Amino acid sequence: MFGDSFFFISEAFTSLKRSGIMIIISIATIAVSLIVFGVFLLLTANLNNIAEFVTSKLEIRVYLNNSMTVSEIQNFKTEIAEMPSVKSVEFISKDIAWDVFKKSFQKLELNDLVGINPLPDSFKVSMYNGREVKKVAKYLEDKFSGYVDDVGYTGHIAERIEMLAACAKYGGLGLVVFLTLATLFIIVNTIRLTVLARNDEIEIMLLVGATKYFIRGPFIIEGFIMGVTGGGAAVSFLYFFYLLFATKIQETIPFFPLVFDKDKLNSIYAVVLLLGAVLGTLGAYISVSKSLSYENMRIRK
Amino acid sequence: MIRIHYLEKEYDNGFLALNGINLHIAKDEFVYLVGSSGAGKSTLLKLLFSVEKPTSGDVFIDSVSLKTLPSKQIPYLRRNIGVIFQDFKLLPRRTVFENVAFALQVMHYQRYRIRKQVTQVLELVGLQEKMSNFPSELSGGEQQRICIARAIVNNPPILLADEPTGSLDPDTSWEIMQLLSKINARRTTVIVATHDKGIVDDIRKRVVALENGRIIRDSELGSYN
Repeated sequence: MFGDSFFFISEAFTSLKRSGIMIIISIATIAVSLIVFGVFLLLTANLNNIAEFVTSKLEIRVYLNNSMTVSEIQNFKTEIAEMPSVKSVEFISKDIAWDVFKKSFQKLELNDLVGINPLPDSFKVSMYNGREVKKVAKYLEDKFSGYVDDVGYTGHIAERIEMLAACAKYGGLGLVVFLTLATLFIIVNTIRLTVLARNDEIEIMLLVGATKYFIRGPFIIEGFIMGVTGGGAAVSFLYFFYLLFATKIQETIPFFPLVFDKDKLNSIYAVVLLLGAVLGTLGAYISVSKSLSYENMRIRK
Repeated sequence: MIRIHYLEKEYDNGFLALNGINLHIAKDEFVYLVGSSGAGKSTLLKLLFSVEKPTSGDVFIDSVSLKTLPSKQIPYLRRNIGVIFQDFKLLPRRTVFENVAFALQVMHYQRYRIRKQVTQVLELVGLQEKMSNFPSELSGGEQQRICIARAIVNNPPILLADEPTGSLDPDTSWEIMQLLSKINARRTTVIVATHDKGIVDDIRKRVVALENGRIIRDSELGSYN
């Protein structure tokens, strides 16, 4: 068994060395199809990131009735905070709100214009899920009409962004499946070509009494090497491409929420490399098995 | 060694290639299978080599029935039968040494034994100087010698040759046949399918003549006609 693996590996390398241009073209094809796949993974990750970022900024502002007492405000806050879809509730007193407002519009001589603070006390309610914003806002407005003056939320934008996020997530998943199949198809066929070119070789192997297992071995190792090499080339391309691309975007739009998380990026690169290895091996297995099928065991004359 | 029993072979397209063949070939024999194209020579060799299965009747090699041989056992049967082809069937991307060594690697031989046996057999066929050449760099006669070396490198008890001189000039053909006689003298059963009249008449051996899938003549030290 051990002797066989040694033989398989040395056979695979000898064969790769002698295949010349064909093997280079095949590896390039594998690399390109994996790059397309990788670019798509990076795109999906970034879309998810943007959607998540924007969703996390969604909030409801509950403007409170001026007549509420401190304990009523406290009770109301607890009640909102206990709602399952609410992440946090922050009380913003009218004074703080006024300060923030004044800072935002320094050019206006507000103190001269308006003698008193016209803003109400309010709650800033953050949600776990942006899709709940509209429902919760309406609920608060109806249920607590006695306390609440008005409820504001970034509703329509919230809905659209949530939809975008959902599209990116589920549509992305569907596309990943589709692209994986497409990549499998391309890689299997690329390797199939290299195997077909050696059908005579397989026939001769059968004629001198090689078992199917023995014939498959070197081809499968070859497929694995081609897959890993193609995957490695794709990963290095993606790595530099993303670095360049992300840096450029960041220079232009500083706060654009791109994915810079090393773990997340590394796991994408790992997936691309793994896919190359798995599809290369699988492609070789499928191709050789086809060549070894019963019809091909006959001597063709 | 080889017993053929009421053997019939009908191809999928309905062509009856072999019809009621009975033949017994003893160990160490040298037999010519002669006949025109389509007489059934190649089909008979293919059945011996288990590339085709009998339609009815059976072939026994050392009492093993090829009709009921499981396909998993076919590789092991083939290791006991060397085959020489008209078109040589060499691996173009392997050197002469590797082409011959491959037959032994398939049988899990140790490396030092491979080196030893391949070197010996290449000396026997006179190709020891061309070990590291690729087949395309050699002449037709030399390529046929590689094919012979590969067929006998593991000393199989049976050697089949399908038109071994079919694509060679008369002088080279004669050398190849001398080589096959030499191999037969080393106690290998040799069966040669050929329509090379000159060879059969020159090197007299047992001749089995086929016509339309039947044996029409079987003579010791016979001639082509």
